[in-house]
Amino acid sequence: MSDTTFMGVPREKIPWFPTIEYAKCTFCMECDKFCPHHVFERRESQPSLIVAGPNNCVVFCRACAKTCGPDAITFPDKPEIIALIKRIRGEEAKQ
Amino acid sequence: MKRAILSCAGLDRPEGALAREVALLGAEATGSEIICPVLLNRSPARYRKELSENALIVIDGCATRCASKLAAQTQAKIERKVLVYNDMKTSALPIEPSLRLGPNGLALAQAIADRLIKDMNSQSAEAEPVVSWDAPAEFLTVTHDKFEFRIPAADYLFNENDCWVRTVNRAARIGISDYMQQRLTDIGFFTPPETGAEVEQFGELGSVESAKAIFEIISPVSGTVTAVNRAVVDNPGLVNSDPYGAGWLVQVKLESLEQDQELLLDGAAYSKTVKRKAAEP
Repeated sequence: MSDTTFMGVPREKIPWFPTIEYAKCTFCMECDKFCPHHVFERRESQPSLIVAGPNNCVVFCRACAKTCGPDAITFPDKPEIIALIKRIRGEEAKQ
Repeated sequence: MKRAILSCAGLDRPEGALAREVALLGAEATGSEIICPVLLNRSPARYRKELSENALIVIDGCATRCASKLAAQTQAKIERKVLVYNDMKTSALPIEPSLRLGPNGLALAQAIADRLIKDMNSQSAEAEPVVSWDAPAEFLTVTHDKFEFRIPAADYLFNENDCWVRTVNRAARIGISDYMQQRLTDIGFFTPPETGAEVEQFGELGSVESAKAIFEIISPVSGTVTAVNRAVVDNPGLVNSDPYGAGWLVQVKLESLEQDQELLLDGAAYSKTVKRKAAEP
């Protein structure tokens, strides 16, 4: 899915994906059970859960964080990402 | 009016104490029945009568949402859900980290309960819209396998998060697309935003839930929430049966549509997005 775009901007240029705060994470895997987009990946080694597919994350979706009891998932600032998308679109329009 | 109230049983976290206190305050003020989550889980028959006669208020402590999950296993009609952790995060006074509520925790519980009680006592306070919202006249259709997704050909704009907006003067109605309602399947619950809340473009306007997923309603426009669709709160299936009409979710007073439009798609452009998404594995 790396060739997809969001609002005409290549997905890999938009840094919207969850970050796991390992100090808080209890590895209950609720986020991974919930998310159908293959953003998370379980592993044998530590840490046993990682964000393996950041570009599969749906831009502006924060639903996995809402399944997280210990509040261990963070996302970037939405207005900053919107400003970035608008900037990239503007630059591409000029080209 | 009397309800049944089911709260989090989190004895090991401050959120649990906060949820329980909100439940008690709500029950005392409205004469509602408290449902013990542990007993409900162990012997659902014990509460069959209470849950068939009263609408249910669900109060979750943290995002694990044990009480919501438990409620979903019953046949109860869920009227409203509260997640007290959201209030903890935004509260100016941090609640004490102990398992017993301190002064800040009690004050926050009272504030959440006051809001809940006001909501429980209000009788569909939303004003009737003064504009007419005709049903879409013409649809574009995207087919994929046995599925058929309809998209209004005109008057509706979309974001790539599968939410639509329709505007009349400075008023806007927002809902989710036919494609998304089919992806979610039977919608069982709508958590509306607060009336009067201000929302940025791509901000959240509550959520809809099916057995498959929770879907955050990502606002296509910026503005102020003026009404939520009470008919959908009572009958969330309207989103499945009429996603662009009776299944609208939120009404907003527009802030800056001209600017917001830059990041919205018309029906034809959204059709291409649906085609691409439907084909994704």
